[in-house]
Amino acid sequence: MTGKRWVFISTLAIMGLLLFVPSFHNDYINLTFRNILMYAAMSYGWNLIGGYTGYVSFGNVAFFGIGAYCSAVLSKTGVDNVFADVGLALVVCALFAIVVGLPILRLRGHYFGIATLGVALGLTDLANNLDFVGGSGGLNLKQADQAHFYLYYYAMWAVTLVCMLATFFIARSKLGYAFVAIRENEEAAQVLGISPTRYKVIAWALGGMMGGAAGAVFAPANGFVDPGTAFAVDNNVFPIAMAILGGMGTASGPFIGALLLSGVNEILQEKFLWLHSLFFGAIIVLIVVFLPRGLMYLVGLRGGVRRWLSDLRAFRV
Amino acid sequence: MQLFLQNLVNGILSGGILALVALGFSLVYGIMNIINLAHGAYIMLGAYLAWQLFTSFHVDPMLSVPLAFVVLFAFGYVVQRTVINRVVRAPVLATFLLTFALSLVFVTIALFIWTGDTRGVQTSYAGANFTLAGVTVPWAKLLTLVVALVITGLLYLWLHRSKTGRAIRATSMDVGAAQMVGVRVAHVYGITYGLGAGLAGAAGALLTLSYPLTPTMGDPFLIKGFVVCVLGGLGSVEGALVGGLVYGIISSFATQFDVTILGQHLSGTGLQDVVALIVLLLVLIVRPRGLVGRATA
Amino acid sequence: MLRIIRLFLVAAFALASLGVPVAQVGAAGDTIVFGSAVSLTGSLTKEGHLTQEGYDFWKDYVNAHGGLKVGGKSYKVDIKYYDDESKPNNASQLAERLIDQDHVDFLLGPYGSGTAFTVAGIAERKKMPMVEGNGAAEKIFSQGYRYTFGVLSPAKKYLQRVLEMAVLQKPRPQTLAISASSDAFSLEVQDGAVAWAKDHGLNVVYANKYPDGATDVSSVISAIKAAKPDIILNAGHLQDAILVNKGLKEQNVIAKLYGYSVGPDTPDFVSTLGKDAEDIVGGAQWSEAVTYQGVPGFYRTAKEYADAFDKQFHHRPDYHNAESTAACLAFQSALEKAGSLDKEKVRDALAGLDMITFFGLIKFDSRGLNVFKPMVVNQIENGKLVTVWPAAIAKAKVKYPARPWSAR
Repeated sequence: MTGKRWVFISTLAIMGLLLFVPSFHNDYINLTFRNILMYAAMSYGWNLIGGYTGYVSFGNVAFFGIGAYCSAVLSKTGVDNVFADVGLALVVCALFAIVVGLPILRLRGHYFGIATLGVALGLTDLANNLDFVGGSGGLNLKQADQAHFYLYYYAMWAVTLVCMLATFFIARSKLGYAFVAIRENEEAAQVLGISPTRYKVIAWALGGMMGGAAGAVFAPANGFVDPGTAFAVDNNVFPIAMAILGGMGTASGPFIGALLLSGVNEILQEKFLWLHSLFFGAIIVLIVVFLPRGLMYLVGLRGGVRRWLSDLRAFRV
Repeated sequence: MQLFLQNLVNGILSGGILALVALGFSLVYGIMNIINLAHGAYIMLGAYLAWQLFTSFHVDPMLSVPLAFVVLFAFGYVVQRTVINRVVRAPVLATFLLTFALSLVFVTIALFIWTGDTRGVQTSYAGANFTLAGVTVPWAKLLTLVVALVITGLLYLWLHRSKTGRAIRATSMDVGAAQMVGVRVAHVYGITYGLGAGLAGAAGALLTLSYPLTPTMGDPFLIKGFVVCVLGGLGSVEGALVGGLVYGIISSFATQFDVTILGQHLSGTGLQDVVALIVLLLVLIVRPRGLVGRATA
Repeated sequence: MLRIIRLFLVAAFALASLGVPVAQVGAAGDTIVFGSAVSLTGSLTKEGHLTQEGYDFWKDYVNAHGGLKVGGKSYKVDIKYYDDESKPNNASQLAERLIDQDHVDFLLGPYGSGTAFTVAGIAERKKMPMVEGNGAAEKIFSQGYRYTFGVLSPAKKYLQRVLEMAVLQKPRPQTLAISASSDAFSLEVQDGAVAWAKDHGLNVVYANKYPDGATDVSSVISAIKAAKPDIILNAGHLQDAILVNKGLKEQNVIAKLYGYSVGPDTPDFVSTLGKDAEDIVGGAQWSEAVTYQGVPGFYRTAKEYADAFDKQFHHRPDYHNAESTAACLAFQSALEKAGSLDKEKVRDALAGLDMITFFGLIKFDSRGLNVFKPMVVNQIENGKLVTVWPAAIAKAKVKYPARPWSAR
């Protein structure tokens, strides 16, 4: 088995360990890992369109926000069922990805990225102004009692597991090959009969559903949703950073990145009252300079330190 | 009619600021394919430099503009040569993340030096304005627009006529070919990024005339600058100018509408950015290269 | 072989980064620990620091004067802080950390209504009493929460007081224009002012909002100018107050009275705007001019508080400092009344508080909000904040109408 396969199995093993988090009976630990899982799921969503298909999206937070608001609106109408929440989020996000994706996925490279950013920004402002979703005050959902608190942890865990496994199997399926083909050379892919627009939209929709599911579980767990919470800048940047640091276009990368970044953040918060941002930034700088392709690059690297250094030199100017 | 004209003028003036902010960002993005998330931090640093000079030595911010440019240019050059150049040929997201992290570092350092207090520059002519045809025009914003135009013009000329400017454009078209004709790419990249930072610093210095200063002041300008660049056309100096003006004018007029759809009241002033973003999306769909972008990289 | 080593490296990276902090700052036998997530970085840095100063000032006083006397025993006070970076999402995680990881005894509120709302939800679930002094939005208190108490006056009163003062001036103003930032607090402030205006015969000629964190409000200003109002109000925080004021001067908008929420009462307003801040009024939670005589156990008058605060922090306290200290005073009194550290007993004691302090009356309605303390109105005169309303404590008469921009 390849190194990557081993890493993926280790990831699944860690997921198994995470099942026991609620046994600590410590809500803080629970919340921390729930957030890690949430970011991991969002990162997987981004990874599909950004990592595998090579279309960098700067607005995937839109899906998370849509998912969160789906739950909030359902709660407003009296439905407080996490399955219904996730179900609705999946449908709405998929539709959104198709409707919005068809026109903007024709854009190449940077332009697509900006267009997605525009979409995300636009949704934020829209949410701020629509009374239907509570405007800037947001919407309250049913407050989670202790039992539900654990339920939402498992729900998030399940969502992340599905994202992980889905990514793994998609990567090895015809779908995955189509995505990578588009990333490597879109024209060649087209010549080979892969319709780029069709597969790009599928990638974006699948990734969007992942982010939406995460948002749908987040909302009832958090107890309330408002534009600032749902479309937060952190929710946009962190999943991307986690995928990059872990390794884009891999099935384990987003999870590793999520663990790493969250862990570092937690430790820094504990040690430095307000300087933590400085060290956080510095650490990321170091990681990017020495591992620009993320941690997964180390896996399956033949040639040891020498190869690593020569690869680094290739990135330099 | 008067309100229409006033809104038009408001839009042009706010567009001028956006254009200046977008200029440096567009250059770096278009030529080196680097999404410089530290751009907001450079704006902020330029602003604080101007503030410090004003507070300690009574230097007028307008005079600080060239100084801020030079200081931030040097700073940007150093940052590029020491840090960013190491990964500039790696996947584009590496530099995205890198500049994001750098901005965290710079903002925290600024917070440490100048604390989180809101600062401002009160010149004697702050808020001064004149009225023409019933339209009130503030001097500070008009000056900013003029400076933006001048800088855009100078930059355009420099990029197309000077030796270094041509080297920069050559490098953006084909790094290998540029190297073959003797262009020192590392140095050219340093200059380009330094230019981007310098322009941001100059914009920041000018911003002190109209905006309060905080360590996080660069963020909203960074995002708008990003959008404006693409609207006008990446890597294009004229594009930043056109994009900025168009964005400014559209969001200014967007504040005038006030509709109720399906029982939901939508106010233009709250949604001014959404309207501009919708226009951006439409433009991109119809003209993917931006309003005046060219077919080069 | 190398491959396996690399695998372990990767796994180790991942596991090490799980970094679950095991250090626990439990309540030691003789110390009562309060926890607070405040914005020490991010867009609300300054306000977060003011809040922290207010808390620390109280802590230092209590520790220097024999500690808190609860149930016959003397306790020292400690406060554990975390930085929420001005982001409500962080605040929830930090609040959990304070409660479950650091085992703090009680919570002191963050700065800002958005964050306070998030933390209040967590305090409720964990049955942890929290007193806050920096989140005035009523939505925090309309959830039926029993464990959160706010010592400050509700948001809608911020500009109502300004209007109360305005309609008694001669010539009586007739029209009102009010702009607001699109966040929960500011909108409540705007609604409160508009409702009051309509009930008292003021014609509201403009009432609109701009995006939160907007960089350009010139169109809003132009519209206000076109409506020719007598009174111009802005519901927002410091940054927007500055932007709006600059905009009004730039477009030469003349009105008889300019009133903003939060902005004018924060020290940076005057230092940033200089002469252009003259004659601006603001609704404030407190000022040094108030004449309350507080109960013993702390500084009893505003002047005593302000002088001592100035000595420690080298600047006069503004209302953010004062309201934060007041939150601590509520705990002090409740703990002494309850005679124990039991959270339920303390919560009940808080609910039944009825005490005068240097800050004003601290008493909570059934929702937990202090609707009993009136607000004051300050005006900026010669670069200083002067209380001009209510008349009983006013240090000077309000300058009305406001001077034209060039005359300031």
